[in-house]
Amino acid sequence: MEFLQYDFFQRALVAGLIAALVCPLIGIFVVVRRQSLIGDGLGHIAFAGVTGGYLIGWYPVVGALVLTVVGAIGIELMRRRHTQYTDMGLAIFFYAGIAMAIIFSTMTKMPSAGLLSFLFGSIMTVTTTDVTLIAISGTMAAAVIYFLYNKLMLIAIDEDVASVTGVNVSLINMAFSVITAVVVVVGMTVVGILLVSALMVVPVAAAYLLRLSFKGTLIAAAAISVVSVLMGLIISFYLDIAPGGTIVIMAVGIYATLLICRKVMELKTKYSRGLPMTRHK
Amino acid sequence: MCMVNLSNIRFSYGDDVVLENLSLAIDQGSFTAVIGPNGAGKSTVLKIIAGILTPQAGTVTIRGKNLREARYDGLIGYVPQNYGKNISGFPATVEEVVKLGTLAGLNRKCSKSAACHIVDHMLQLVGCKEIRKKRIGELSGGQQQRVMVARALAGNPELLLLDEPTSGVDYEASAKIYELLGQLNCNLGVTVIMVSHDIEKAIKWSDKVVCINRGLCFFGDSNDFNITHLQSRHRWFYAGLQGEN
Repeated sequence: MEFLQYDFFQRALVAGLIAALVCPLIGIFVVVRRQSLIGDGLGHIAFAGVTGGYLIGWYPVVGALVLTVVGAIGIELMRRRHTQYTDMGLAIFFYAGIAMAIIFSTMTKMPSAGLLSFLFGSIMTVTTTDVTLIAISGTMAAAVIYFLYNKLMLIAIDEDVASVTGVNVSLINMAFSVITAVVVVVGMTVVGILLVSALMVVPVAAAYLLRLSFKGTLIAAAAISVVSVLMGLIISFYLDIAPGGTIVIMAVGIYATLLICRKVMELKTKYSRGLPMTRHK
Repeated sequence: MCMVNLSNIRFSYGDDVVLENLSLAIDQGSFTAVIGPNGAGKSTVLKIIAGILTPQAGTVTIRGKNLREARYDGLIGYVPQNYGKNISGFPATVEEVVKLGTLAGLNRKCSKSAACHIVDHMLQLVGCKEIRKKRIGELSGGQQQRVMVARALAGNPELLLLDEPTSGVDYEASAKIYELLGQLNCNLGVTVIMVSHDIEKAIKWSDKVVCINRGLCFFGDSNDFNITHLQSRHRWFYAGLQGEN
């Protein structure tokens, strides 16, 4: 447990645990709304925000936050406009985000090491200011999900039913988009832009295999996410490898293990019932 | 007493006029079936009553209130068509889904224990108590439909709107759904408006029939409704209905 003696590791642990708890909170709704790639889209907009913010002299995380929130609002407005092709808006903002990031990064004198830290995460170098920002944003996101939990679930089942029930669907969808943007920026600091979506989706996908209730899936996803972050941080510390990638690989490893266990259990059940192991032609 | 009043409704999708000058008054406590051929505007009428679609002209009132008030007061319960694609694999149990119904009307302010009591009662009512812990996506079409009816009822609505409640459901399960709707109508006094392709069953269970076909409308008692009679008066109407069967 020598790693706990280091200040940088303590900060990394706090930031990582906050992100681990908050990302699946948003992630479960992102998955059931079939918007699993929204984290990727917003991540690329966040990258444009980092480089753009640096260009005009803003703190990079603040630049990312502002542009990602604007992008999230844009994606939601496009989703409402093109109801038949809801992922089209996401694709357009995704491309615009990465294009802006390329332009801003060539205009700015930001060192490539700084850019890479946002792309792949730099949890071991988070400052106290970063941790404070992550804590505030994480608390905000958790509070929004707590108060809108049932309404978000109803909207995920059917937007029309939610609106007939008296739920303000447009407002809640917009609030959810904004809070997703905030969580993407929080996750960006921990695992990097390229992997932030993974921290939102993979623990939820793993928990889904357990076939629990909605609340049970949410709790299991948070637990899987916390275990992934803890294992990822410790392993990366000792092996001196990238913590962001290690965290995500841990989550994917848990998913793969649960998937194999599930398949084995299904086969065992089939076998115990005396059913053929192969599919009928 | 009038539950639903549609007055001179006009609705079009772009240039395609689906409803023209449609007026209807549906009584409280009635069981009304909305029938007609594909593209006739059946679901459109239901969505207008639910407030999901806004007509280009005309007014809709529910028990004398405008739709905004009616929805806020939880007067309307709505069971849509084809929600199946959203809930297949949805990681929520039956009781979690039914509990969402308590977000409507006066029940939205009820305590957690009261909400659990409502869920219990609704599941008992639709005969799904034993599957309450199952995931909604793992149920059969008929069971899912009953659960969705229970969810709609959990808001204690006075008007229940159902869009093709038996589509994709086998014969036996569909008979049970009609029976359930008949019981809700008779025992609880819930006004039921149901869009259906199954004309025979719809006429059997309902007491009023609204037969529409792109702006033209027949409205009357289901006992008086006779396809042969309709054939002699409106050949186009029968041709459309025959296509549905």
